[in-house]
Amino acid sequence: MIKAKNLYFKYEDDFALKNINLEIKEGSFTAIIGANGSGKTTLGKHLNGLITPLSGNVFVDGLDTKKDGLNARKKVGFVFQSFEDQIVYPIVEEDIAFGLENLKFDNAEISRIVNETLAKLKIVHLAKRNVNTLSLGQKQLVALAGVLAMNPKYIVFDEPTTNLDSSNKKMIMGIIKSLNKSGITIILITNVLEDLKYAGNIIVMKNGSIIFSDKKSKLNNKILRKAGLYD
Amino acid sequence: MIKKFTFGQYRDKSSAIHQLDARIKIIYVIVLGILSFTIMAKADIFIFSLFVLMIAVLAKIGFRDLLSNLRPFYLIFVFLLAMYLIFSRDQIVLGLVYLWRFLMLIIISLLLTFTTKISDLIAAIEKLSKPLKILGIKPRNLAMMISVAVRFIPVMFVYFERVREAMISRLANLRKFRHMKVLVTLLLEKMMKSASNLSDSMYSRLYDENLESQRVMKLGPFDYISVLVVAFFIFIIY
Repeated sequence: MIKAKNLYFKYEDDFALKNINLEIKEGSFTAIIGANGSGKTTLGKHLNGLITPLSGNVFVDGLDTKKDGLNARKKVGFVFQSFEDQIVYPIVEEDIAFGLENLKFDNAEISRIVNETLAKLKIVHLAKRNVNTLSLGQKQLVALAGVLAMNPKYIVFDEPTTNLDSSNKKMIMGIIKSLNKSGITIILITNVLEDLKYAGNIIVMKNGSIIFSDKKSKLNNKILRKAGLYD
Repeated sequence: MIKKFTFGQYRDKSSAIHQLDARIKIIYVIVLGILSFTIMAKADIFIFSLFVLMIAVLAKIGFRDLLSNLRPFYLIFVFLLAMYLIFSRDQIVLGLVYLWRFLMLIIISLLLTFTTKISDLIAAIEKLSKPLKILGIKPRNLAMMISVAVRFIPVMFVYFERVREAMISRLANLRKFRHMKVLVTLLLEKMMKSASNLSDSMYSRLYDENLESQRVMKLGPFDYISVLVVAFFIFIIY
């Protein structure tokens, strides 16, 4: 379970997150929705331990991200909004291996996991390709493969369908849904109402605060209007 | 543009040069680079050029591919040549030799990156730069810097093209210093943002600068043969 307790964070003088309290249960599909600048990405980065709280705490399966950020990051993968910048190495299979090298796997194990991940995402044909020659949808899959290969228990997707065409959007959301079915806990950061149909739990954010956190069935237009997401 | 631009990137081919140990290839780049700067005789220059072209042929790198990767340097070549023509016309032969050396250095480096996977290159740089630890330089960071440069140079060119087109479409004149300054500033901003995103991504994928590569590197028969060939080549030149 991921837990945030009395979480505050600020960039320079402005609070980006104010008194955040949340619980994300194992195996769930949670969507964090809010208008631009509402603090969604900052919250997502806290869940992965990329940012540590100014005050308050984030616990990943009991690990405090302030004290044990490395082990927390092993459990929580993060697929960035700017996935083009997320790819470290120029060749697809090498980039997928990047995280595995950091986990100190040996060459044979790395090769096995890379091949399995490529097959899982049906991108075996891209293994030797240069990432600069891929389409946006393919790059998004490579970024996801790099995270998936590390076998995380939780994955945070930060607006994964931004800039993608409708068929790629459908394909990526289908993969995210199937990952959740296979047992991976999904945290989807989005500002698209349509994406909420995949989630079971919804967190709505406004100006750095959570204004709603519950099951999707309890969400109504009044809350969305308050968050600036619905006219 | 993004589909075409793969400056200096690895070409997945099966060749003897591809199979050479990355450490050996890095050492050859250094040796050949130094060698190119020590020779002056026409015959030596001819033999050296032939040797480099032979490596390209063995590596199955097309001549056209090589030339297209030299394109970003054309302006520098023209500039250098023009400087010699304007200021020291009597030393134009010397200028051409310097130009040739510069060209050889680029081609040799390109042949290294064309035939070596970035992960092999990183492991090799890490292993070769271990002695630098005494100076407080972390080999993994050094290797990572080079790999990131190889990965992002083409991205920078693509972004440059995008900003240039966007500015021209709104009637910018890039001969004007003011407009050029805007373009360069935007490019720098983008690169800073990309660097910040990349650093976040590496951190979230557990990058550790103190980690040593687990890769086992062993010299094979091709490596030993290549040592003999290069040694014989140096013997001929001297």
